[in-house]
Amino acid sequence: MLEISNIDVYYGDFQALWDVSLAVGDGEIVTLIGSNGAGKSTILKTISGLLKPKTGSITYDGIRLNRLPAHKIVELGICMVPEGRRLFPQMSVLENLEVGAFLSQARQVKGDTLNWVYEIFPVLRERAKQPAGTLSGGEQQMLAIARGLMSQPKLLLLDEMSLGLGPLLVQDISRVISEINKLKGITIFLVEQNVRLALALADRGYILENGRIVDQGDAKVLWSSDSVKNAYLGVGPVTEKG
Amino acid sequence: METAIQIITYGVIVGAVYGLVAVGLALLLGVMKYLNIAHGTFIMLGGYIAFWLFTLWHIDPFVSIPLVMLGMFIVGLILYRVLLSPLLKSPVGLRIGNSMLITFGLLWVLDNAATWLWTSNVRSITTSYTGEVLNIFGVKLPYTGLAGFGLALLVIFALHLLLTKTYFGKSVRATTQDPEAANLMGINIGRTYLISCGIAIMLAGVAGAVIVSSYSITPAGGLNWLLIAMIVVVLAGEENINGVFAAGLVLGLVEAVSVFVTGASYREVIGLVMFVLVLMFRPQGLFTRRVRGT
Repeated sequence: MLEISNIDVYYGDFQALWDVSLAVGDGEIVTLIGSNGAGKSTILKTISGLLKPKTGSITYDGIRLNRLPAHKIVELGICMVPEGRRLFPQMSVLENLEVGAFLSQARQVKGDTLNWVYEIFPVLRERAKQPAGTLSGGEQQMLAIARGLMSQPKLLLLDEMSLGLGPLLVQDISRVISEINKLKGITIFLVEQNVRLALALADRGYILENGRIVDQGDAKVLWSSDSVKNAYLGVGPVTEKG
Repeated sequence: METAIQIITYGVIVGAVYGLVAVGLALLLGVMKYLNIAHGTFIMLGGYIAFWLFTLWHIDPFVSIPLVMLGMFIVGLILYRVLLSPLLKSPVGLRIGNSMLITFGLLWVLDNAATWLWTSNVRSITTSYTGEVLNIFGVKLPYTGLAGFGLALLVIFALHLLLTKTYFGKSVRATTQDPEAANLMGINIGRTYLISCGIAIMLAGVAGAVIVSSYSITPAGGLNWLLIAMIVVVLAGEENINGVFAAGLVLGLVEAVSVFVTGASYREVIGLVMFVLVLMFRPQGLFTRRVRGT
């Protein structure tokens, strides 16, 4: 459904992505891993329209995304949960979710979607009236994902969802991700520094180094490959291998 | 006792107008991070529209307000399209400075245009009820002041409802807090900015209509009202539109009391002293509760 071919992306004069191509198929969970600063978030920002590729093309169900503004891309069913949650801190949990369902197609089914995300993350129902900024880190990440789901996405882009969360929370949230993929058929494209988590969750993976895709393949195969060891070692010392 | 009540009533009536004067400035500052130096000049422009509608066609200023609002809303849309939207390319940190420079230039252009078109005469609207007071147990309430108070209350309440109850309002607040995240939720932030700018200038226009009926306007009078608006915005706290009305009342009350105690010559000084004190000791404003950011 999503196809990126040969894109170069710049921040001003600085080239962040070099000739990147990747594809995400319907119903898949695909991950993009790589060390800090490799350009992972840049790819997500380019897909969601915050950055524009200089060359190459991005298509989604045959529609070219290159020149579309970000809010039009959401309309097509691509929603990004940005790194660092990026909630609206002074708005209540419920209001954050309502803003998630801003588009008219999402607004029509808002009530049902709301019940559904409350089922997935019951804590959000309890905190509905509280300002989002007063939630704990884990609750904020849940709200960020729930807010993204409110837009009724067909493709959910997740940027560093495990960052700063304890291992138990990370487990919880990855279980939820795999559930919404299996039960709702929502395609997931996951950017992660936590390689173990990402490859356990994903069907396929891509490895990004210095703005270039250096390896790709089945998640289980990648897990035992040399390039993963390199990317993994780039993050920190390995104490044990799964 | 009567004097005390009279002072408080006067302070509240003036304070409500102060809140109304500041709310458009606060809206633009909150949503776009633009400081509109020409805000007071747009207030004057709204006042002139009401003045000419009254002078030429005898339309009561409180009746002509919908027309003033419509006209100023369109002025706001044009302002955004022509002068303000190009500034969005500059990083957020530079926006306040850049917008100040541009609107400062605009202020001189509009000032001089208004002087050229309508002379620098002091203008005000004298209706059949101007100067008449409602006397309640010895407390005197001027009708125009009461109408201005009621209107300020109504406008600010309507804005509050718009921002908290409607989808458009929620998109405005989301854009205020994180434009990029709002964009990722499908909000067309360019459109949100455009409409917000229209509303901000429209609110300046309403304030102008109230001022021309209770006080007076001149082409250069905008700067004084800008000063008051800035004091109120600082008292309320940046990005706190709900606090603006309360901050206006505080300024109005403090001024009224200080005029009674020290005489009218220190009226403006009191406001500026509050401005400095708040910036020094409570820069987040009097009415902002700090919510931990994400």
